[in-house]
Amino acid sequence: MNSISFSRVSVRVAVDGSDAPKTLLSDISLDLAERRIGVIGANGSGKSTLLRLLNGLVEPSEGSVVVHGDDTVAAVRRVRSNVGFVFTDPLSQLVMPTGREDVELSLRRSIRNSKERAARAEAVLDRFGLLPLADQSIYELSGGERQLLALAAVLAVNPTVLVLDEPSTLLDLRNRELLRRTLAGLDQQVIMSTHDLDLALDMDRVLVVESGRIVFDGGAAEGVARYRALCAAAVDSATEDSAKEDCAAMDKRWLGGVQK
Amino acid sequence: MSNTDSATALRTAASRKRWSPTDLGLIAVFAALVAASAIVPGIPVGALGVPITLVTLTVMLSGLVLGAGRGFAAAGLYVLLGFAGLPIFSGGRSGLGILATPSAGYIIAFPLAAAATGYLAGVVIRRTIKFRALWLFGAAMVSSIVIIHGLGVLGMMVNAKLDFTKAFIADLAFVPGDILKNVLAVIIAMAIHKAFPDVLVRRVK
Amino acid sequence: MRGNSFLIANYVRGNSIIHRTPLWLKFLVVAACGTASFLIVDWSVSLVILAIMCGLFLLSGAGLRRLLRAIWIVTPILVVIGLFQWWQLGGPTAARIVLNVLVCVVAASVLTATTPVQELLDGVVAIARPFRRFGADPERFALTIAVMLRSIPFIAGAFSDVRDSARARGLERNPRALVLPVFITTVAYARQTGDALAARGLGEPDDAASGN
Repeated sequence: MNSISFSRVSVRVAVDGSDAPKTLLSDISLDLAERRIGVIGANGSGKSTLLRLLNGLVEPSEGSVVVHGDDTVAAVRRVRSNVGFVFTDPLSQLVMPTGREDVELSLRRSIRNSKERAARAEAVLDRFGLLPLADQSIYELSGGERQLLALAAVLAVNPTVLVLDEPSTLLDLRNRELLRRTLAGLDQQVIMSTHDLDLALDMDRVLVVESGRIVFDGGAAEGVARYRALCAAAVDSATEDSAKEDCAAMDKRWLGGVQK
Repeated sequence: MSNTDSATALRTAASRKRWSPTDLGLIAVFAALVAASAIVPGIPVGALGVPITLVTLTVMLSGLVLGAGRGFAAAGLYVLLGFAGLPIFSGGRSGLGILATPSAGYIIAFPLAAAATGYLAGVVIRRTIKFRALWLFGAAMVSSIVIIHGLGVLGMMVNAKLDFTKAFIADLAFVPGDILKNVLAVIIAMAIHKAFPDVLVRRVK
Repeated sequence: MRGNSFLIANYVRGNSIIHRTPLWLKFLVVAACGTASFLIVDWSVSLVILAIMCGLFLLSGAGLRRLLRAIWIVTPILVVIGLFQWWQLGGPTAARIVLNVLVCVVAASVLTATTPVQELLDGVVAIARPFRRFGADPERFALTIAVMLRSIPFIAGAFSDVRDSARARGLERNPRALVLPVFITTVAYARQTGDALAARGLGEPDDAASGN
C-alpha cells in the first residue's frame, strides 16, 4: 500500500507518417518503496516517460501504475495531490509573477480562506529561506532560486511523494549543492532523474534506463558505475554522431531552446 | 461590456468538451503571442492611424494551429484583457476607449477570424494530405477578407465617419500586407503541425 | 529583461487610500471611464476627468514618472488620431476623443498600479462567478489569464534568443531560421506549461463545482 508499483507497463506513441508506433517504455515491473530513488540514463532512454507515469502525465499503453493504492489513470486527481512534480525548467512551472503569489496559487485548492492561505505561504517561503525574495519578479531570481521556489510551491501542499525531472540540469555548482542539501532534508519519498552523477550517488536505489528498459536496478555506487561503463561502450562502438551526443549529454542536457 | 464577453468566452469553453490543462496552456500562450506581436511597433498607415502590425499574423496562426474553439479563446482572451486595461493593443493602447477609434472593427474581428480560420483548418487537416498548405492559405484568406476586412471597413465607417468607398480604399492599404502575413502564418503553421502532429487533431493510439 | 516585465512591474507596493479602496470600486471606475468616453460630448469635461484620474494616480504614491510613462506609450498613436480627427471633425471633437482615450489609459493604470495580480485574478473570478451556471469556471479562467501574463516576457525573450542564435550560426538572412524556431519553441513551452499545471493539480476541470 505504502509504495509505488508498476506492473507490466509499456508506453507507445504514434509517429506522424508511420503506421508503427514508437515504443518509449516496454514491460516495466517495479516496486518503489525506498526513500531516495534515482533514475539515470541517456536522453531519450525513457527516463522522463518513467517519471511522468508517476503522476498520470503519461498514461500507460499497457499495464498499470499504482501510487499508494491509487491507479494513476482512474484516480489521477488523488494521485496528483499525493505526487509533487518538479520540472527541469522552473520557468515553465512557475505561473505567477512573484514567488509569494505562486505559492499561494498552489494553495488555492486546499485553503479557501485568503488570510490563511497567505499565512501558510509565508511559512513555506520562510522554511526555504525564500522570504526575502518573495515579492521579486521570478525573472529577477537566479536559476537556483527559481528552482528552489518551484520546489517550495510544490511542497506547499504537502505531497507524500516528490518527483523531480533533472532538477539540477540548469543549475550551477553552488545551486546544485543547495538543491542537494534541501532534498536531503525532506521527509517525502523522492524519485529523481538526473544527469548529475554526484546527486545520483546520494540515492538509496538507482535505476538505469536504456532504450525503454531498465537495465540495472540496485545500489547507487554500482548503478553509477554501470552507467559510466554503458556510456563508454556506446561511444566506443558508435559510428554515428548521435550516440556520442547521448553521452556528452551526461553533463549537459539539451536545452531545446526553451530556456530563457 | 467586458463581463459579457468573458461570459461568452467561458460558455463556449463549457459547451465543448472540457479543456485540459494543456489546452489552457496553449490558449494562454497563444494569447500572449498575439499580445507580444502587438507590442512590436507597428507602422501607422495613411492618415487613419490604424497601424499595420503582426497581430493579424498571430491571430490567424492561433486559428490554424489551435482550431476554432481554442483559437477563438486565445484571440478573445487577448482582446478581453486589452479592454480590461492591459496596454496590449497596437501602439500600446488599451481600454474600452479603443472601441471609439477606427481600429475598433479590426479588434472585434480578431476572435471571430481566428475561429473561422480554425474551423476551416480543422477540416483541411482532417480531409486533405495533398496541397495542404494551399488549402490552409485559402482558409486564412477567406477568413481575413470576409471577417477582418469586413468588420474593419465597418469600424472605419462608424468611427471615422467615412463613407463605404473611402473606408474600402483606406482598408485596401492593409491587403498586400495581409496576403504576405497569411503566407507566413501558413508556413509557420505547417512547421508547427509537423513538429507537434497532435496539436490540432488528436491521433488514434 | 529588455522591458519584458512591463506588465508585471506595474504594481507598486503601498498603503495609500487607493491601495485600500476595494477592488470592485476600482473596477467600477475603470468601467465608468470606458463608458463615459462614449457619452461625453464636451472636451472640457474630459479634461476635468483626466485631471481627476491623474490626481488619483499621484495619490496612490506611484509617482509622476510612472504616470508620464503610461501616457508616453500611447502618445504616438494619439497624435496621429488627434491630427486626423482635427482635420476631419475639427478641434473640439479631436480633443475630446484624444482626452477620452487618455482617461481610459490613466484609469487602467491606477487600477494596475495599486492592485497585485493575484488580487486582480480574485476579482476576475468574482465577476465570473455568476456565470457558473452557464458552465463558466472562474478559477480556470483566472489561471489562464495568469499564464498568459507571465508568458509574454518568455515570448519576447524567445524572439531575441533566436535572433542571437541565428546570428551566431550566420543565418540572419534566412527568414525561416529566424522565425520558425520561435514558434516551435513557443508551442513546446505552452505544452510544458500545460504539463506543469496538470502536475500541480491546477487547471483541471472541476467536476465537483460543475455539478454535472
